[in-house]
Amino acid sequence: MAIGMAFGITVPGILLALEASERNSGQNDEELARRLQRREPRAMADFYDRFGRLAYSVIVAIVRDSATAEDLVQETFLRVWNRVHAFEAGRGALGPWVLTIARNRAIDHIRSRSARMDRNVYELDVREHPSLFVDMERDLLNTDHARVIATAIAKLNTNQQKVIELAYYEGLSQTEMAERMGEPLGTVKTWVRTALKNLREALGQEVTA
Amino acid sequence: MTCEELRPDYPSYALGILGDPERTEISEHLGRQCETCVAGVASALATVSAMSGAVKIAEPPKSLRRRVLASVEREPRPSRFGVFLPWAITAMLSLAMLTIGITGRRQIGDTEKLRQALSILNDPAANDVSFGETQKPSRGRVFVSPGQGVVFIGANLPRIDSGKTFELWLLPAKGNPVPAGVFQSQSDATAVFVRPGAVTNTAAIAVTVEPEGGSAQPTTTPFIVAKLQRQL
Repeated sequence: MAIGMAFGITVPGILLALEASERNSGQNDEELARRLQRREPRAMADFYDRFGRLAYSVIVAIVRDSATAEDLVQETFLRVWNRVHAFEAGRGALGPWVLTIARNRAIDHIRSRSARMDRNVYELDVREHPSLFVDMERDLLNTDHARVIATAIAKLNTNQQKVIELAYYEGLSQTEMAERMGEPLGTVKTWVRTALKNLREALGQEVTA
Repeated sequence: MTCEELRPDYPSYALGILGDPERTEISEHLGRQCETCVAGVASALATVSAMSGAVKIAEPPKSLRRRVLASVEREPRPSRFGVFLPWAITAMLSLAMLTIGITGRRQIGDTEKLRQALSILNDPAANDVSFGETQKPSRGRVFVSPGQGVVFIGANLPRIDSGKTFELWLLPAKGNPVPAGVFQSQSDATAVFVRPGAVTNTAAIAVTVEPEGGSAQPTTTPFIVAKLQRQL
């Protein structure tokens, strides 16, 4: 995959999808989460309509196989369905939560497939705990942020883009990245930290590193 | 490690690319709901989520919507534990991956054991018993699934001499204890032990200290006895 091309910096498709999603939602995420928790019959249909395409896009970008992506999308939505009761509807960010679950399913899959077995499975589980999405900005997936992050990725230098893509799309550990790129681990760690710091700053988030 | 030492690693942790020992340390901090680490990882997760919002869009087949909705309709009511495992337990199982020692062929079997643990925890029919309120200092929980087995999670377990081991027992309402496996604690005096397989004729779970290899019958007084809510 060409560096910088994996994220939608040249294709406005994601932006159109987000705009459509925002237009079609007709309700906020809090109400949608509450309806899922109440097991309302149409709640999952509305939830899928809002996030299904995004979840599929994230997963297929990682596993690069449509049949596998469909399996993992189904797994993602089942996981949401079975865990939404623990989600704080009034304070949680529904979109980031489901996309985190989607990416984790995809990374878990490719790690298993490549025999980088799943010692991370349970840690991935920890990382998608609903508590981590409390008070997270709910508009994180809006079109403005998508543009900002795509532009910020495009501004990273080549090495930073490379490590971000290896991390995001292949789930390579920093050690694995260092081996693949033939670079010292410390150098790779620096590229990763700098890249993520730049992305966070672009998003206007509090910088913690 | 301190939160300050872990702070630079929050983004890598959120991306799932952080190695040990930092990864384990952060999981541990999250497991005890450390406010600094929860806030730091949450902030980093926001960045990762924003990256997800910037991937190229791909159009799923229309059939996928029907498939997802159909699968949800088939889904049984969430179990008491299936809604979400208590965070501390999830983290503890995560940490157990490290203490088991994952190398080579052994990895697959150990991973399977943890899958069994999660399966037991998610069984709606499982007994969920806490202990420690009256048996301090050891405390923890036992999940007993009649069809799938026992998960024992303990903390503050007593230090035992080399040549000794902990042994889990199934206690019937009448009759002799049934041995259910031996285990060791970790350096932090915690243990996660999984005994897969059906559990019958059991009213309580007990733990004793036994000679290495275990005993056919208890040779010491149990320091943990957890009575099941529903006798099996």
